[in-house]
Amino acid sequence: MTFSFSGTGTGARFALAAGSVLIAAPLAVWGWAEATATIKFTEMAAKAGIQTEHHTRRFPGKYADVLRMFTSGGSSGAAGDYDGDGFDDLFVTDSDNGKPNHLFHNNGDMTFTEVTDKAGVGGGNDPKSIVADALWLDYDNDGKEDLLVARFGTPILYHNEGGGKFKDVSATSGFNRFGNTIAAVAFDYDNDGRVDVMLGNYFKSQNLIELPDVHVLPNDLDNAVNGGGATLWHNDGKGHFTDVTDKAGFGKLTGWTLDLGHGDFNNDGFQDIYLACDYGTDRIFFNNGNGTFTDVTEKAIGFDTRKGMNAEVMDYDNDGWLDIYVTNITDEYMKECNMLWHNNHDGTFTDISKETNTCATLWGWGAKFGDFDNDGWPDLFVTNGLRSAGKENYIPVLLNNLLLKPGMDFTDVSNWPEIGGMTWSGYQKKKMFHNLGGQTFKEISAEAGVDNEADGRGLALSDFNHDGKLDIFQVNADQKAIFYKGVTEGGGNWAQFKLTGTKSNRDAIGARITVKAAGLTQMREVDGGNGYAGQSSKTVHIGIGKATKFDSIEIKWPSGLVQKINGAAIGKINKITEGKGLQTK
Amino acid sequence: MRMRNLSFLILPGLVLTSLIAPAFAASDADIAKAEQAMAAKDYNTAITVLEAALQSDPDNIRLGSDYRQAIMRKSIAAHPKEGSPLDFDRCITFFEKVVAAHPNAATAYLNYGFCSVDKIPAAGSITQVLLANAALTQFSKSIELKPSWIALYTRGNSYLYWPVIFGKAGLGVADLERAYAMQKTEPTRAYHQRLYISLGDGYWKQDNIEKARAMWKEGLSRFPESKQIKARLDRKDDDLKSYIDDQLDPNKRVDTDLHEIWEAK
Repeated sequence: MTFSFSGTGTGARFALAAGSVLIAAPLAVWGWAEATATIKFTEMAAKAGIQTEHHTRRFPGKYADVLRMFTSGGSSGAAGDYDGDGFDDLFVTDSDNGKPNHLFHNNGDMTFTEVTDKAGVGGGNDPKSIVADALWLDYDNDGKEDLLVARFGTPILYHNEGGGKFKDVSATSGFNRFGNTIAAVAFDYDNDGRVDVMLGNYFKSQNLIELPDVHVLPNDLDNAVNGGGATLWHNDGKGHFTDVTDKAGFGKLTGWTLDLGHGDFNNDGFQDIYLACDYGTDRIFFNNGNGTFTDVTEKAIGFDTRKGMNAEVMDYDNDGWLDIYVTNITDEYMKECNMLWHNNHDGTFTDISKETNTCATLWGWGAKFGDFDNDGWPDLFVTNGLRSAGKENYIPVLLNNLLLKPGMDFTDVSNWPEIGGMTWSGYQKKKMFHNLGGQTFKEISAEAGVDNEADGRGLALSDFNHDGKLDIFQVNADQKAIFYKGVTEGGGNWAQFKLTGTKSNRDAIGARITVKAAGLTQMREVDGGNGYAGQSSKTVHIGIGKATKFDSIEIKWPSGLVQKINGAAIGKINKITEGKGLQTK
Repeated sequence: MRMRNLSFLILPGLVLTSLIAPAFAASDADIAKAEQAMAAKDYNTAITVLEAALQSDPDNIRLGSDYRQAIMRKSIAAHPKEGSPLDFDRCITFFEKVVAAHPNAATAYLNYGFCSVDKIPAAGSITQVLLANAALTQFSKSIELKPSWIALYTRGNSYLYWPVIFGKAGLGVADLERAYAMQKTEPTRAYHQRLYISLGDGYWKQDNIEKARAMWKEGLSRFPESKQIKARLDRKDDDLKSYIDDQLDPNKRVDTDLHEIWEAK
């Protein structure tokens, strides 16, 4: 076995000391200092009718066990309002052959009704394809949320026909390139008013079920270069997407992409992209504003060797610049540490996960920021856990039968020991972090009631019942989903903003809202599916502590229009249309 | 897995003379030349000089240690923080050739293992495991050739860096107990305190808290100023676990410079 190392080593970019980053963070602890609420959730998936169980793909043949283990990431959940009733519904994936995906209609009272069959969106898991992720997007700007189902295979694009029905338009969508896709995000990279799609691919483009070549696994467990990379698809505006991967500058990617996170990282008005990659180097690309991107990894973050699992984007410290949170693996046998990339405002980032207490979340998966106590500072919830099974631990078996055996070819499926009934980083307690004024975080999962031990994958956050408290839908691998209703008492005031683009894409993905209240400025962007295997609401939720009015609200639309908003209501959903007035629910 | 800071190896006498033979004299000119180059931060020259010297004097612990330091300083100068893995590969490849040419050079095997240890902080988490295992292989060969105190201590201590799940703590304790028996026959040396620390840590990793504390207490009776021993005895339960886990964190670079050995002569 050989190891190839490139670049300048782990954490090459540390020009700015962590201490100075923290000093640069807002000194005011507005809201947080005043907050007295204890963040609290109650689990109610069964009661809500969404305790659906995920099933990983069972493979045929002698390598079934190993392949099943390597493809256990396809459990995802997406929040989106497909019927325009104002309440976010849920689409939940399954992955085993013939198992249906699920569409749950939100009844508005924290109960859901399954409408999969009527909607016609259950398909996707066939003998040659494995469903792995899902995304709500209004690709044709008709005001109805369409649905993209990403697969180990070719994606399925469903057009929302209205009346609760969808039509499979994959054949004419242009999505005709096979990929082992595990992540999908929608954003308008060229600001032409239509959302484009980026797909993150885990394995290289080879059908894993037919397995014509057994050499499909990572060629290096810290610096793999035989993964599927990513593809970018331009929305042509006629219901068709064109593969612009090479043209845009992503054609040479060979990483094991597990997640994609987009946002305007350098505040130039164009959406940039972060790729979290397993078995090695994450990548960050800045948008050149002309349809192409530049790989700025070396300068911006340096080359890492970690197991990137999640890319969540948020201005967690309210300094007006988007930061990035990446989960890795930090367990008894592997001490990688997550990465909280603090934006240095100069095109570079500094990892301050250790300094902010967000470093160790075991075998990390999806992670999402959300202001759970409405104090104005985004908190963080992180899922984890790979495989909870029997008492025997797979790690020593893996070590002795593969890793430490001389000359072993890691890419060969047949060289990996069977896992059988063994546990691998299982039974791990989830981690919730309370944001303490943008300067550090406090782990509160047990007292918040979210320290479940499921094999978590994706998260979808939304205020599903419009009570001003964010709820959490957590999907798990080979296990039932978990639904946490936010029940925090005594939290701060809040407001929500449902933005609709006119010249910009109708979903307003990439729109940036900046609110000022009681001395604190918060900036949030509408995102199109950031974070592993989960899409949160596109309605922007902002906590404002004890403030009772906004000093100012400004929206910067992807079209470039900057719009001042007056009269936004506290404790309400404020509906704002690009270039027009405010309509409050 | 990495070695602890070896700055404790300030030897008041000639305790390691049997270990570091042959004598330094044959390489004094090379050492001086390399030191000059190092002082001028001309690491390439230092590396070249020391590689040439080691080929004719492979068991010279000073040459080997200085060589590894030159590699590390060069790497870190070019790549701040932990250096580049490629630089450390040169060290590994070089000593691989040295021990092939000099299969009985016990100290060369020790330095060969240290090359892998030096690379660990610059490597990814899986590669760290592979490097740790490679280092153990070379340390074992060194012990096979000459079961010295330092070789036993080095390998025994290395085993302690492995997570409990891999079941290597017992192997570490066995090595450290052998080194302990050796040092009991000698006058007390400054570096002996490290053995008390590591052997106590080994017992702690085996969940034998009483035996661990007894070893640390014995160490403290001989080295009353030892902050590291005191730190362990002052802690309990999770606090102690957190402290020892931090001490054995594979992501922290530890100085493997052995210069105190000859400086104390």
